[in-house]
Amino acid sequence: MTTTTGRTEPRRAPATGRRVASKAGAGGYRIGYGHWWWAAPAVVLMLAMIYATTATGAFYAFTDWTGIGSFTWVGLKNFTTIFSTPELTGALVNTLLLAVGFLVLANVLGLLFALALNRTLKTRYILRTLLFMPVVLAPIAVSYVWKFIFAFDGPLNQTLGAIGLQGLQHDWLADPHLALAAILVVMVWQSIGFTMVIFLAGLATVPVELEEAAALDGAGHVMRFRKITVPLIQPSIAIATTLTLIQGLRIFDQVLALTGGGPANATQTLATEVYQQSFVFGSFGFGAALALLLSLLILVFTVAQQRLTRDRL
Amino acid sequence: MTHPINGRRRAAVLALPLAAGLLLAACGGGDTSGGSNGAEPQSITLSYASANTNEKAWETLAKDYMAAHPGVTIKTNRLALNAYNQTLTTQLQAGNGPDVFYVNAGTGQAGSVGQLAKSGNLAPLSDPSVTSVIPKGYENLYSYNGKVYGVPNSQAFAAVIYNDELAKQNGVTLTSTSTLQDVLSQCSKVKSAGKSIFGLAGGVPQNPGILSMMIASSTVYGPNENWNADRAAGKTTFAGTQGWQQALQSVIDLNKSGCFQDGAAGAGFDALTNGASQGKIFGFFAPSGATKDIMDAAGGHVKLVALAFPAPQGVKTYITLNLNIGISGNAKTKSPKLVQDFIKFAVSPDEVKKFADAQGSIPVGSNISASDLLPQYQPVAGMFESSQYRPFGADSWPNGKVYDALGTGVTGLLTGQKTIDDVLKSMDAAWGS
Repeated sequence: MTTTTGRTEPRRAPATGRRVASKAGAGGYRIGYGHWWWAAPAVVLMLAMIYATTATGAFYAFTDWTGIGSFTWVGLKNFTTIFSTPELTGALVNTLLLAVGFLVLANVLGLLFALALNRTLKTRYILRTLLFMPVVLAPIAVSYVWKFIFAFDGPLNQTLGAIGLQGLQHDWLADPHLALAAILVVMVWQSIGFTMVIFLAGLATVPVELEEAAALDGAGHVMRFRKITVPLIQPSIAIATTLTLIQGLRIFDQVLALTGGGPANATQTLATEVYQQSFVFGSFGFGAALALLLSLLILVFTVAQQRLTRDRL
Repeated sequence: MTHPINGRRRAAVLALPLAAGLLLAACGGGDTSGGSNGAEPQSITLSYASANTNEKAWETLAKDYMAAHPGVTIKTNRLALNAYNQTLTTQLQAGNGPDVFYVNAGTGQAGSVGQLAKSGNLAPLSDPSVTSVIPKGYENLYSYNGKVYGVPNSQAFAAVIYNDELAKQNGVTLTSTSTLQDVLSQCSKVKSAGKSIFGLAGGVPQNPGILSMMIASSTVYGPNENWNADRAAGKTTFAGTQGWQQALQSVIDLNKSGCFQDGAAGAGFDALTNGASQGKIFGFFAPSGATKDIMDAAGGHVKLVALAFPAPQGVKTYITLNLNIGISGNAKTKSPKLVQDFIKFAVSPDEVKKFADAQGSIPVGSNISASDLLPQYQPVAGMFESSQYRPFGADSWPNGKVYDALGTGVTGLLTGQKTIDDVLKSMDAAWGS
């Protein structure tokens, strides 16, 4: 039987000299599971604002709600409509194309810049800052600037004309084949700094001695990169690819500002379709179905990608 | 072994529902004020939106009413035009909508009379002096299930906003009796000088949409006023109507003849304003009220007129009348009598004329004469006097997807992504969805 006084009896130090960490058992101060309720207000807020709203949205995906008035349950009708409408399956394809393109280009270019600015170069700090600056700008502001650049009579075409390359002049944002590429350029341009910073942090953990030892043993640049650098920056690769994949699948601002989904729906993505169906056409039920599909897509891809890039060390 | 934590566990069990309760109480039920003494509150809210940020027509209307009815307060609330429908429907759905508000006619948009009346958000209007303002034959634009739920308080038309002086300087002449062929033959003449007769914002679906509707008013609705009713009854389709084929072919012909500026397929509205201010385009397609907006913005240095779009040879040209700007009352307002009285005041002849002049639009009513019209509408005065107009067809389409299919489809015609049949078939598909 122990007393419930406030003070604990001093423990005898065990022979090994290691202190027992917990002071529990003798009554008195105990860090136990009871403090979970301190997080309760935040948890309730999160449940209400995030999970409850998401669940409600998911519910409406199976109805024909127009955002106002009553609705009827339609089951999977919204989903069958999505997969039988060319415009929407086209949006799905565009979303995947943009996401994969963005994932590959942003990470490859980010890694290349990180490798280039990792060591040695005297101006590397200034260059790192310059490369990171686009990241802090609002995507929609960046998109409007690029829209001006890509305009038919904008700086890009004017420059091409001035240096004698009239043949390369195009209506970049109105050509159905080029518009998606133009959007990708804007996305990648803004995010190179972001992935570069993640990779720089990873590269900083690669010991110089390892690379020097490998170089002494006769390993070339590529071999050193493949066998030493890449395995050691695996966590950075995992983070950078996850974030860019999610960002790429959710793409919205750039598409809306540059092309509005056009020309003739050639650059619609799932996110812009969700906006158009819900808020422009008032088909909230259908928009919710699209949003649910997008969420599931992001979930599936992220889980698969996490498995591919998990640390195997 | 007792644990003081027991007391804490009890507190914990209480804290969670308490927090939840506080949170939900904050979310639920607004204030339930409202006198039970029988008199309605003499303070109402009026929401509206306008394309011209400087326009004061609605504010003047509210001020006039307050001056004529001391003790009444009208709080005006101006919303952005492009988000107006979404904002209004969200507010009405949440139960804190305005008492009286600007509303779009027909069923073709999210915040339109048909859709809001269907969900029970509009107060029926029964006063004959109010409902008679709606021109004969256009009642369906403001009715639902046989009852009238809104009334237009101005009218306008989809127009070619045209700088006649500049065009004549460049050797181009366009009048209210011109045909499409007259236009096509003059387009190449100015194209070689680096200019174009029209500017088209092909990147914004509403602009090719409004152009197509202007031509369709002559080729489709001109010969058959009841085309929308026929389509709703399944007697015809877009793809099967020669008038629609002709309207879209006209747009293709305009593009091929160089009537639009370079890069029209992807241009935004900035291309129109830049082109117009640099004198590179002579006209563009917009609601007629834009004439006043631009002339005001230019400080009176430019003189514009509003024309109907010339129909193809052999087809009679009709004005595309836009009875889209209307006013409705909230079904759940706490001051129903005051709202009805305000609406009646808004459509009284004096207020209607004042409103139209302030907005740069046309007074609502069936018997328009040239003296009722502002100077920029004189070229089409004859067409108004002989009732040579048709309503904007898209207002009565069942949902907004059909008009979007038209606008994006026409952009696709310009880029070569689609054929006329593709576009018309997609409009038919959207009609049924």
